[in-house]
Amino acid sequence: MLGPRPEPPSPTIAVSTSPSTPRQADLFARQLLLFTGKGGVGKSTVVAALGVAAAERGLRPLIVELGHRASMGSIFPGSSIDHRPRPVACGGRLAAMNLELDEALFDYIAGQIKIRRIARAIAGNASLRGLFRAAPAVREIITLAKLQALADDLLDDGRRRWQPILVDLDATGHALMLLELPQLLRSLVESGPLVRVTESLSGLIADRERTMLSLVSLAREVPVQETIELYSDLQQRHAIEVGSLFINQVPPPALPSTLLPWLSAAEAKILGGPHQEGTLAADLRLTRRLEEEHLSARAQIERLRVEVPEIPRVELPAIEGGLHGEKELLRLGELALATDADAERAPTAFDRAGDDR
Amino acid sequence: MSAIDQLLRSRKLLVCVGPGGVGKTTVAAALGVRAAQLGRRTLVLTIDPARRLITTLGLDELGDAYRPIPLGDLGGEAPLYAAMLDPGASFDALVGRVATDEEHRSRILDNRVYRLMSRAFGNAHAYVAMERLYDATASDEFDLVILDTPPTRNALDILDAPGRLLAFLDERVIGWLLRQPPEGLRGRLLARGGAAARSLLSLLAGDTLVDELAAFLELFVSLRPGFQERAVAVQERLRAPETAFALVTSPLADNLADATYLRDGLAGRGVVLRALIVNRAYVPLGEHPWSASPEARSFEDALQLLAPSSEEERAGLSALLGHISALRRRIADGNCRAHEAALTFASGAPRGCLKVQAPNLDHEPLDRRALAGLAALLADPRAQLDR
Repeated sequence: MLGPRPEPPSPTIAVSTSPSTPRQADLFARQLLLFTGKGGVGKSTVVAALGVAAAERGLRPLIVELGHRASMGSIFPGSSIDHRPRPVACGGRLAAMNLELDEALFDYIAGQIKIRRIARAIAGNASLRGLFRAAPAVREIITLAKLQALADDLLDDGRRRWQPILVDLDATGHALMLLELPQLLRSLVESGPLVRVTESLSGLIADRERTMLSLVSLAREVPVQETIELYSDLQQRHAIEVGSLFINQVPPPALPSTLLPWLSAAEAKILGGPHQEGTLAADLRLTRRLEEEHLSARAQIERLRVEVPEIPRVELPAIEGGLHGEKELLRLGELALATDADAERAPTAFDRAGDDR
Repeated sequence: MSAIDQLLRSRKLLVCVGPGGVGKTTVAAALGVRAAQLGRRTLVLTIDPARRLITTLGLDELGDAYRPIPLGDLGGEAPLYAAMLDPGASFDALVGRVATDEEHRSRILDNRVYRLMSRAFGNAHAYVAMERLYDATASDEFDLVILDTPPTRNALDILDAPGRLLAFLDERVIGWLLRQPPEGLRGRLLARGGAAARSLLSLLAGDTLVDELAAFLELFVSLRPGFQERAVAVQERLRAPETAFALVTSPLADNLADATYLRDGLAGRGVVLRALIVNRAYVPLGEHPWSASPEARSFEDALQLLAPSSEEERAGLSALLGHISALRRRIADGNCRAHEAALTFASGAPRGCLKVQAPNLDHEPLDRRALAGLAALLADPRAQLDR
């Protein structure tokens, strides 16, 4: 060891000169939080964890998953999730809903045509429903309009009913579609209520004080590549505030760095020798493999640091066998809310709550 | 013969569905290699594959056309082909096939509603997959077609989209929107209420969009019979006995939730799930790929093998062994949880459904040999999940 080791950053000091830190800390100051990422990166878990953390902070969070989904139902077992917000966890303080097309369509039509009976008749007409289901962009318009209605919903005392709204978007392409929609529609629509809707939706998406898009990725080649492409697409074409980049399931180092020379020493003694088929050799190979996995993840994170430099990165630990229970969700949520400075510390294995499972 | 091999030998169409990010495309490609090894002329149809998979297959690029995959000494007599589904291009090609003439074709291709429909919006992937499937299964060129469904959670679209498209081309709706005066009694009946419906739609969507939509439907209405015929044929084929659906997932909670949705969705659509493949089911702990739980280790024996020559070395190697032991416990614990989750999920699969698992490999398969290796693992009797 050369010279004194630097002190690890103290968790109580959240102030940093990095311009990105306040953004990360302000996640819950925004009302509409959109999350996107390639399928299979654990996006729903991150959204659920942040939802639990928001509820624990005394906010009124609502998780919205888009139709065709069932993730929240299995993350919060025992809860029933349908097209209306319902409490799912944290003693009822965390609500979730599934934004389902047919119901949202009725709400939308009812909003445009004030006579409910006629709205019901239109939404209930099988031919029209078929048209709406297949017609391009209808799903996206309805989705955005519903999100806006949820965002504008107020309590009796004038406060927003939902703060924040965490939206678990479908895969990357779908998120881009939603963002592109107002622009695309503007070329097709010149009059009628859709103009108002379009204007108001573009306004909501572009409102940097109110709306924020966060990205979720893994420290693996394919999702990292997709994240880099998504980011450059966002920068070129979309007026939306990009929040954090959550790097999920980052594998921890297999060994403390002080033990790595001993691993090499043990390998030199055993591998290639008479015991190279034995159990000890198998253990050494397993350890080396896990260390290499960790190193390749670090290399991918470094790639993100270089190619997506403006967005704060938040590393979340790999959790073997998945997450269980509200306490573990809360712990992950707190890690997700940690500032950049905290996140730069060497990641460790996820410290399981030993008592809540 | 293993159950997976039996499936690959006996079916003409294998549809792989599953959540994104579980290695579904890799598994589909591996099964393709295996099927060709078993002597089946095989086509793997995939959608938007990662660059790496294309090189894994030994190709420089993959496009709309069927490309032969060189198998070298891995192969037997049967060839393996792969093709990628490109929604925009395939849709345009489809319009080209069914349009009456060049002018008709270019008017459709220029229509803005069509462009929205065939590109980003409106489940274009699923329509195109359906069309390509029709072509591939109708030809005698292949004994087995393996379809890797779109990498979205909406893999069920392949079963729903044809119906949706037909609903979109619903005669009544078209009757409402067509601008030309309808001909004959039937036309007038269809158009009844059309003015009201049209003005309601205009109120909702605006005149321009409704006009453009009407123009699109007018251009498309003549294509309806062709679409319908193919859609019906494909839907029948998807539910035919020589077709099998395989669900690929990982044991992670997020993925299992999506997989559950797919499993139940298939059942609800009258499709029987024939195979459940849990990929990356566990991290192997020993030398062979089936070692999911740790065998006993003796710390003393290990230290003796390492034969430390100094106190410092003894201390260092002891600390190393202690950490390795903790590492193994952590992984074994994770494997155990993952296994429980996979078993719980598998217990909901229909009777007679094949349930197999593959370990989390050191590296993603990087060449055709590795793909064949993955398939061999899946075909191994020890891969049975509920042994």
